[in-house]
Amino acid sequence: MAVKLETRLWWCWLSGLLLIVTLTFGLGTTAYGAGRTKIVFWHEMTGPAQAQLMTDAKAFNASQSKYEVVPEFEGSYNEAVQKILHTHGTSAAPALFQSMDVSTAQLYHANVATPVQKFIDADHYDVSQISSVARAFYSQNGKQISMPFNTSQPVLYYNASLLKRLGIKAPPVNPTYSDITRVAKAITAKSNGKVKGLTVEVYGWLFEQFMANGNTVMANQNNGRSGYPTTVDFTSTATQKAMAWIRENIQAKDFIDFGAGSQAESNEIAAFLAGKLGMFVQSSAYISQLLAGTKDQLGITYYPHADGTKANGVSIGGASLWIANSQPKNVQQGAWQFIKYVMTPQAQAAWQKATGYLALNQKSQHQAILKQLYAKQPVAKVPSEQLAAATANPANSGIFMEGLLQERTLTQTAMATIYNGGNITSALKTAETSMNQYLANNNRANQYTNH
Amino acid sequence: MQQSLSGKAKTRPLTPANVTVGRRRWSERGYALLFLGPSLALLAVFIFWPMLKTLYMSFFLTDKFGHITVFNGLGNYRSLLQDASYWASLGATLSYVAVVAVLTIVLGLILAVAAQQQLKGIGFFKTLFSSTMGISVSVAAIFWLFAFNPSVGVFAQLSQALHLPEINWLADPHFALLAIIITTVWMNLGFTFLILFGALQQVPRSLYDAADVAGVAKRTQFLKVTLPMISPTLFFVTTVTLIDAFKSFGLIDLMTAGGPSNATNLLVYRVYQDAFLNGSYAQASTESVVLTLLIAVVTLVQFKLFGKRVTY
Repeated sequence: MAVKLETRLWWCWLSGLLLIVTLTFGLGTTAYGAGRTKIVFWHEMTGPAQAQLMTDAKAFNASQSKYEVVPEFEGSYNEAVQKILHTHGTSAAPALFQSMDVSTAQLYHANVATPVQKFIDADHYDVSQISSVARAFYSQNGKQISMPFNTSQPVLYYNASLLKRLGIKAPPVNPTYSDITRVAKAITAKSNGKVKGLTVEVYGWLFEQFMANGNTVMANQNNGRSGYPTTVDFTSTATQKAMAWIRENIQAKDFIDFGAGSQAESNEIAAFLAGKLGMFVQSSAYISQLLAGTKDQLGITYYPHADGTKANGVSIGGASLWIANSQPKNVQQGAWQFIKYVMTPQAQAAWQKATGYLALNQKSQHQAILKQLYAKQPVAKVPSEQLAAATANPANSGIFMEGLLQERTLTQTAMATIYNGGNITSALKTAETSMNQYLANNNRANQYTNH
Repeated sequence: MQQSLSGKAKTRPLTPANVTVGRRRWSERGYALLFLGPSLALLAVFIFWPMLKTLYMSFFLTDKFGHITVFNGLGNYRSLLQDASYWASLGATLSYVAVVAVLTIVLGLILAVAAQQQLKGIGFFKTLFSSTMGISVSVAAIFWLFAFNPSVGVFAQLSQALHLPEINWLADPHFALLAIIITTVWMNLGFTFLILFGALQQVPRSLYDAADVAGVAKRTQFLKVTLPMISPTLFFVTTVTLIDAFKSFGLIDLMTAGGPSNATNLLVYRVYQDAFLNGSYAQASTESVVLTLLIAVVTLVQFKLFGKRVTY
């Protein structure tokens, strides 16, 4: 034996230790030494959005010498909410964090953040440059509680080349349900059933959007804007109409159901890119992926609305940035400086181009980077136009209610039941009863009472 | 220590008769505690305490931080038992566990017996049969998701080519559980095959030789020689498969997220959703307690029913 086993084991052990030491100290050290205030920033971005966020953090750090933003990836949105709540006030807690749309009421009531309104007022920051629908989503009692960040809206995508090949007139830019049904039926008929006309994912967010676009609040207390919601309305005319519309397409056999969850999204995109699906409604954040994935020309319209009514405009999805209230003043100030930085017209324009999320700073639309994008892909402008067209009101400013994940689970169960032939009203009623029970329990557990 | 022991030995010689029983017990207990202490402490902190806390929490309501706020008595249990979707989950879980266990073991056994045949190139099949052991849940999920895709998936294309009715595997509540079962069995098969194959190899050849001499038919040999000889392994595999099936999580999370219409919302997945998505820790605790009882009962029944038939 050339080398003793013992010696080899020692080498293994030592090199392992060395690896651990390098990893901890090597990655732990930051680009800047002492003297700068560290701003730990928790985010949940992946893929191109994560890369762009890193670029922003680097650029911000290079632009000044007082603060150093340290982005830390925290996994999925859902996991992050629990982490934020459970680390609050400990040394592990971040100074700045990104949290998803549906967690807004929960985090607000948990009192873990300093409302960004405080910094807006102190700085006389011109908040009107930021999209009002997006701002309204993260406001309560007229105060901005967090800053809208990565933001998308649901839109309808269609394969424009396919429609041309089949000789079908494209849907209008602000379509009604029957506009879409007409196109969907035509796609399936003219392709001899080879291409399905339409899909609507079993997704609670889309369910909420049918209500928003139909100018209907889901939760009482004005969608939670004037108190703690105690009941929800899933059986409204707006939802019944939307479900009846989907049912009509299912019965006409021009509709394909991909189910729920991330698998449904990847399956519907795979089908769309393969030319087996003509239209689908989904987040505008998929736009870059769709433009890159096919040679066919992409078409985009606003979110469909019921016939004979005016579209109220949809609400947004995504996440916002929060400043933790447990951190010292200068750290909070640093977090605010970074927020201001990522909201500049330039940063927002670059953000939209790189990620597909919407630029929230209205001045971004005049930036060269977006003008070039629109010149090359005129449809890329549609989501921003839809966002700008809506006026914020309680129905399209999001639902300010705890337990929205439960609401989505329940409405998705109802949707799946309806897609598979169940009675529309009774499926919605079942979900409504369960949600009301959840609300009663949650209000009792958190000792919430309305005055 | 040495001193005092030898001192005592001088005055009263150490014979088994005059070492007091109580004293020996104490020192044995002391030693036992010394050796078991560290692991007991770990178990207490990480297993027993959380278990008791879970039981305790199931009688309360919790706020968004998971703090106990309001005493709810048996309210959580009552609302759980009155919830139709919970009963649906329970039914789905039981059928899932039963079908997965039976299919995994029967198919694993068939493959193991097949791999035992002395044929050319059997080594390749042995590798193939056990290969799913090396595949992670996420990879399996991606692979099967693609296969089940209703527009471009393998199954969809096959049924189109053969003019069979198209099945929407993951979006149709009647088929989603079956799709998860197929995937789980496929995943588990590698491990079951390997363990059972190992057990078959352990059966002494002389037993088969003796049976051959006695003119016993091959089928009878399998029933009277092979099965009893591998029964401890079969018992082990069954127990592991059953408990694993009850705890299934990864594939469900990646493939259906409990849908459609709760068709694949198995009990463990429900606990996860209630605790870590909805923040209803008390509700999740209640469900955990019920699930623990359920697994205990099933395991007990299994030991009572099959334990006696195992020949060691």
